[in-house]
Amino acid sequence: MNYDIKTLHPLEIRVLLNTGEEDITSDAIMEKLSFKLGQCNQAFSWLAAKGLIEEKERKQRVVYEITDTGRDLQKNGTPAERIFALISEKGPMRLPEINEALSLENKDTGTAFGQMSKDGVMALDEEKRACIKGSGISQSMKWARAVLDKGIKEGELEESALSPDEIKTISGISKKRGAGSSPFRVSGREDIVYRITASGKEVKKLLIDQGVTGEEIGSLTPEMLADGSWKNKTFRGYNVNTPPSRVLLGRHSPYAQFLDGVKDKLVSLGFEEFDGPLVESEFWNCDALFMPQFHSARDIHDVYHLAEPTSAKAIEQPYLDQVASAHKDGWKTGSRGWGYDFDKEFTKRLILRSQGTVISAKTLTKAKIPGKYFGILRCFRYDKVDATHLSDFYQTEGIVLGEDVTLKTLLGLLKMFAEEVAGATEVMYVPGYFPFTEPSVEVHIKHPVLGWFELGGAGIFRPEVTEPLGIHVPVLAWGLGIDRMALMSLGLNDLRELFTSDIEHLRLRRRSS
Amino acid sequence: MPKIEVYEDALYKYIGKRVEGDDFVKLLTAAKAEFDGREDDILKIELNDTNRPDLWSTAGIARQLRVYTGGGKNEYSFFSTAEKVLDSGERSITVDHALKDIRPYIAGFAVRGGGIDEASLKDIIQTQEKLCWNYGQKRKAIAMGVYRSDLFEFPVRYIAADPDKEAFTPLGFEKKLTLREIVKEHPKGLEFGNIISGFHKYPYITDAEGKTLSLPPVINSNDIGAVIEGDRELFVEMTGTDIYSLLIATAIVACDLSDAGYEILPVKTIYPYDTPLGREVTAPFYFQQPVTADISYVNKLLGEDFTPDEAAQYGRKLGCRIEVSGSRLTLYPAVYRNDFLHPVDIIEDIMIGKGLPNFEPVMPDDFTMGKLTPETLYSRRIKNIMVGLGFQEMVYNYLGSGKDYIEKMNIKGSEVIRIANPMSESYEYLRASILPSLLNSEAVSGNAVYPHRIFETGKTGIRDNDDNYGVATINSLGFLSADRDAGFNLVSSQLSAVMFYISADYILKEAEDPRFISGRCAKVVLGGSSGKEIGIMGEISPQVLENWSIQMPCAGCELNLDLIMKHCGKL
Repeated sequence: MNYDIKTLHPLEIRVLLNTGEEDITSDAIMEKLSFKLGQCNQAFSWLAAKGLIEEKERKQRVVYEITDTGRDLQKNGTPAERIFALISEKGPMRLPEINEALSLENKDTGTAFGQMSKDGVMALDEEKRACIKGSGISQSMKWARAVLDKGIKEGELEESALSPDEIKTISGISKKRGAGSSPFRVSGREDIVYRITASGKEVKKLLIDQGVTGEEIGSLTPEMLADGSWKNKTFRGYNVNTPPSRVLLGRHSPYAQFLDGVKDKLVSLGFEEFDGPLVESEFWNCDALFMPQFHSARDIHDVYHLAEPTSAKAIEQPYLDQVASAHKDGWKTGSRGWGYDFDKEFTKRLILRSQGTVISAKTLTKAKIPGKYFGILRCFRYDKVDATHLSDFYQTEGIVLGEDVTLKTLLGLLKMFAEEVAGATEVMYVPGYFPFTEPSVEVHIKHPVLGWFELGGAGIFRPEVTEPLGIHVPVLAWGLGIDRMALMSLGLNDLRELFTSDIEHLRLRRRSS
Repeated sequence: MPKIEVYEDALYKYIGKRVEGDDFVKLLTAAKAEFDGREDDILKIELNDTNRPDLWSTAGIARQLRVYTGGGKNEYSFFSTAEKVLDSGERSITVDHALKDIRPYIAGFAVRGGGIDEASLKDIIQTQEKLCWNYGQKRKAIAMGVYRSDLFEFPVRYIAADPDKEAFTPLGFEKKLTLREIVKEHPKGLEFGNIISGFHKYPYITDAEGKTLSLPPVINSNDIGAVIEGDRELFVEMTGTDIYSLLIATAIVACDLSDAGYEILPVKTIYPYDTPLGREVTAPFYFQQPVTADISYVNKLLGEDFTPDEAAQYGRKLGCRIEVSGSRLTLYPAVYRNDFLHPVDIIEDIMIGKGLPNFEPVMPDDFTMGKLTPETLYSRRIKNIMVGLGFQEMVYNYLGSGKDYIEKMNIKGSEVIRIANPMSESYEYLRASILPSLLNSEAVSGNAVYPHRIFETGKTGIRDNDDNYGVATINSLGFLSADRDAGFNLVSSQLSAVMFYISADYILKEAEDPRFISGRCAKVVLGGSSGKEIGIMGEISPQVLENWSIQMPCAGCELNLDLIMKHCGKL
């Protein structure tokens, strides 16, 4: 038989092991195994539910339970016994005198005396005094004493175990409800009688075969370890498939981990991380990137302006003058420039940085050659927030400086990102446009799950960007769109979910790759 | 980036052949364009290069693709140059001196030919919109008008008019309005009127007899300025603030109409003041200067070993004449292009001409050492401690509402940075603290099993007069516990654990802060009682919890990681 006996509780095991063909009742088990009634009932209901025992019949029975009054009477004597003893000792007395001598209620004395005179044990003399008649106590008094003594001894008396005389006696001094003043409380009970089933027998055999006794150790305690009482005992095997309870644990945000993973990957490819302030000047955000001050992307509907403060105190020199000249006439860059008068107040205007390239530009002023740099930077956009647009989000950007970097190195770099960062299977390059790079390239990749999409844009910084910032070697600039990969990795399809406030969502979120 | 719609048939007619499916999508990349879908026989195309307005029309993009696929160049013989000015006959525009400081430049040309059809008319309107909106800075730098030239007499007069004295019936209206009324009442006046409403006089165009052509850059007149299908004689005019971009826009429209089969007739503008191109400019006018690049520069950036002739041959595929002299390539921009600022711009044409797939990717071979910023490393260390303490890491947005960041937090908010031009009230402030982000999580997470332990390491921004920008960006740690017994003792224990593992000796100083319960709030101080304040902690005030509708006690802490790093940050 293929039955997992680990699903059985020790109580069930012991019931099964101690059961043969005979009826199974709670009384029998309580007596045999010293179970409490509750344990019996629990074990029976579990076993019955598993089909190991089945109900045979239900038995009605009557039980008499001794009350506190009963205990008192057994100990101190019934009113009849006390009256009989009093009169035996002191001679005839009037009923009120008996009341007083024994502190009895008038009606109790009356009832007891009435019964004794009826039984011919006592009588009233001429002076209306109670006196002894006959040769001893009555048979009913003997029976009452007997059931009281039996009640004290057994607590509960089964009607089926009593003689007809005992039943007659005890039923006369019992009540169903409000039995406080009666010596016994009588109640009707229903006993379910079980018997073992065929599968119950098989399981029992399994238990015997495997030597399971139900006495195995449940929890190992420090005390057992201290006193060695675990030795020579076996441990109860647990059901390993019991559903576990939930643990609340500390966790990293899976999105933060995804971003950290990208950072680590870029570091492993030789890139040094850069960072910068959330608030920037127009100068670094746009002017240093050779975006003319009349450029449409610098409109009030494209970047967030600060209400207060509104302007930087100063812009770093000599960059301000050099960039201004590059805009006007190209400065020393070989360019003809944009041919307009650069506004040195406008350039101080403060905004929330709208592109990570700002920090690439700032990094140029202190970059090593050769050098590779990157940043995963929070940027702000004037966009209506929906599933594909956020007002603030992360951009991944970087630069590569070197005497010998070329368009072909740029393509190599993008290929490396496509394969190493995005896991692309195919890579395609198309001409792109960015105000600050020339030539410019977009890289589209085929992702094993997402299919074709645009991974990022890149180019070689225009000399009008690099020269005014003091760099005289080619600079490859690149940006990667990793949000789609982040969503895929987290099993999401709404950018807003990356920045969720919902604790439960985050607790349950896993990375799918 | 502009998106245009083109009739498929018209496009292929211009290109000279049909190019369909993937081939078309691939071919578009030569114009930095993306196929954006189709609707019946209309193709939607997105143009990425904001310096190539010549591509923003059916004829324009077709012109590029035709040359690129070897279909030959169209000749445009109607351009004047500084050396050779074409005869403009009677057609001229006179300019009022007062316009010098209002909207100084105007250029125009006349068009003659077969009756204009629906597709061409639609294309002209689209060109006008894209040119003036994207290239012309929403009409500020360039505005364009098209008129029925058979209804008026040259010379056209470009004058500065009294906005209350001059009146005409604007397009789409039935009654005459003064110029000022048009600016205030006409839909286009409301949209573009602010470009001129600050001046005492408005730019105004009439014919020789005073008949109104338009109020640039706002609206045409309802008769001369209403072009309809079948018109055979047109006058195109553009006004603006920069003569070069104005002439490029004029050239583009002239070339488009020429490609569509119309004859282009020059018009001369006579200025009473100096312009960069003199006092008389006949449009269309070719002013662009040649750009020269040495082949060594080309090869250095492209990583190739082209001969000058090879490079020139590739570059010519983009439509410009390139001459080779020794090692030097000289590019003469096409009449409709003005995107050559630097020799580097020639290189991109050569790259596209050769085709990007034909360049072999090469791995960069310079050795550089990768590393993270100290801030990232420190934040990772802090995050690991917080996770070990049983906290869930959160990542929040940095923009939010004044209601969340200020009102609900019970603070005055003078240090919180407000955006002058918010998109909506929900994203009007830059967060100055992580605590409101954490409390917002509590407000939406009442159903999540307690206890809650959440934290974030992220940036905050606050007013700082010592900073050049007046704003300091701070790397912060914020953490919050929400539970039946989340109180001061709990957060104090948590803080103590964090500080132990980063070896920071701190003391707590009793503090009053409206965000916390009075008497259960402390400043975290490094370096003794007169040391540096680096954060705040305590039991969140029930008033704040009520403001957020949070029904569970919360205790939290916020620390300035930059200051901690500065004072005891060894990694």
